[in-house]
Amino acid sequence: MKILTTVKKVVDVELTIRVQAGAIVEDGLQYVINAWDENAVEAAVQLKENNNAETTLVSIGGGDNTDMIRKCYAMGIEKGIHVEDPALEKADSPVFARVLKKVFEKGDYDLVITGKQAQDTDSGQTGIMLAEYLGLPCVSNVIDIQVLDDQHIKVSRLGDAGTEIIELELPAVVTVTDSINEPRLPQMRGIMMAKKKPIDVMDLSALGISIDDADGAAAPTSEIVEFMASKTREAGQKFEGDAAQITAQVVSLLVDEANVL
Amino acid sequence: MAKILVVADIKNDALKDSTTELLSKAGSIGAETAVVAIGSNIEALISGLVNAGSDTQYVADDPALAIFSAGPYASCVADAAKQFEADQIWFSFSESGKAAAPRVAVQLEAACATEITDVAISGEHVEVTRPAIANKVMQRVRINAGQMVVVVRAGAFEAAEGITGTENVVTLSPPAVDVKAVVKELISDASGEIDLADADIVISVGRGVKDQTGVDLVKELAHDLKAGFGSSRAMVDGGFMAHNKQVGQTGKIVAPSLYMAIGISGAIQHLAGMNGSKVILAVNKDPEAPIFNVADYGIVGDLFEVVPILRAEIKKIRA
Repeated sequence: MKILTTVKKVVDVELTIRVQAGAIVEDGLQYVINAWDENAVEAAVQLKENNNAETTLVSIGGGDNTDMIRKCYAMGIEKGIHVEDPALEKADSPVFARVLKKVFEKGDYDLVITGKQAQDTDSGQTGIMLAEYLGLPCVSNVIDIQVLDDQHIKVSRLGDAGTEIIELELPAVVTVTDSINEPRLPQMRGIMMAKKKPIDVMDLSALGISIDDADGAAAPTSEIVEFMASKTREAGQKFEGDAAQITAQVVSLLVDEANVL
Repeated sequence: MAKILVVADIKNDALKDSTTELLSKAGSIGAETAVVAIGSNIEALISGLVNAGSDTQYVADDPALAIFSAGPYASCVADAAKQFEADQIWFSFSESGKAAAPRVAVQLEAACATEITDVAISGEHVEVTRPAIANKVMQRVRINAGQMVVVVRAGAFEAAEGITGTENVVTLSPPAVDVKAVVKELISDASGEIDLADADIVISVGRGVKDQTGVDLVKELAHDLKAGFGSSRAMVDGGFMAHNKQVGQTGKIVAPSLYMAIGISGAIQHLAGMNGSKVILAVNKDPEAPIFNVADYGIVGDLFEVVPILRAEIKKIRA
């Protein structure tokens, strides 16, 4: 089984994000691997260990992704592809999906595993769109993957009405949540080995995508006009002291002031 | 006049309020509206679809649609969108909507935006507003395609008073079954539980409740208030709460009238799932816990002491 895992470099959401004049202030930002993609990497590595899968990752954009890709190598991923092109600067989910389609078609993969969404956009579209472009079956929001045989996997998905158990015919695409596993910490030996591994860097033309292509593969259908600061909540009233007294006081405020009880 | 197709949000054979909220918003921006309802034995919902404020009702009613499967579900929506010649297709915030919207967008060659909180049509341009980066920023996004598919964030729009619709039912043919993604089983969430997404009050537990005894203590309060009962990531990882109870960027996003965070420190991923709530009450013994930065009311104290008092006080005022 050949697995393709997607990884995206995203801004670290734990840090303060400032907005000025409609743009995010770059100063002070740090970039990390998208947390859900780390779950996707872990899922792929587990399938390598338990089911002899071959693992490749692909990352699109992000500039210098060497550290992130080496981290994934150190976790157990065997091959890495990085697609970088100035034309991708304003890429939206459909563009990412169409680039991934080209990567998929060059590699004869059986399974694509992506994180359920990227932490920078919170969109959750790319993996599902990739499947749709390829005409492949797809399950999103997956919390478990079991291999049935060479052609089939069984996955569990968190749906609206409960947990759905779905059998997928390969090749297929799944997007995973952080409930699926706990990503491993790279060990020293893996980190040392990772430094020697090459990264296959390519641009869009190497994938056969022309930026002025008639099919518009690299043309986004949406663009971010501006960023705005989120409406922040202000800290309200905080009560300390005798539990019985302050709790009674808060309950009466919930009733009389906030009108929510 | 823009034509907006709203995908009916149906759960446990009932039409959820979000359907009315989306139709109200669509009507308020002067659009011609239609709704598409997908399920099995949903004939009884048709009058509700009309009353929610739709001018046309596309109905896909087939036993094969009883359990959600993203492929056939998306096909029904795309079919209705084509028949209605919709400019915009709006999904409510749900796992079904999040799974189907990108599929529909690709099928229609439309743009796609998820988690939107507002839509503005000015002349030729459509723009949406949406949060990003774990709710830390908002984005204004211009749509550069003739059609647009969106998923609307929970609680973004309000239902209007006194709306009416026109009954005009169009029956859709049942879609092909997805033979490459076969739903073998649905393990239903415990019945009788209040849905987090719909609850007017949501009470969530975090690491501070420690173990099952703590969970059960807070659950009693949730039971008293008929509140949805949620959780931080820590209690799910600890095995005390089910995956589908997790509130946060990665789990459910809720926007109730009252959110009670009990023993939750307030990690950024958790806040992203609940900071749209109208009023937030936090109970935590650490006065420096970040949850107090977003809470309207904060009680610094031992939750094992505070929660029973909360129950008693609430019982008192409700008596």
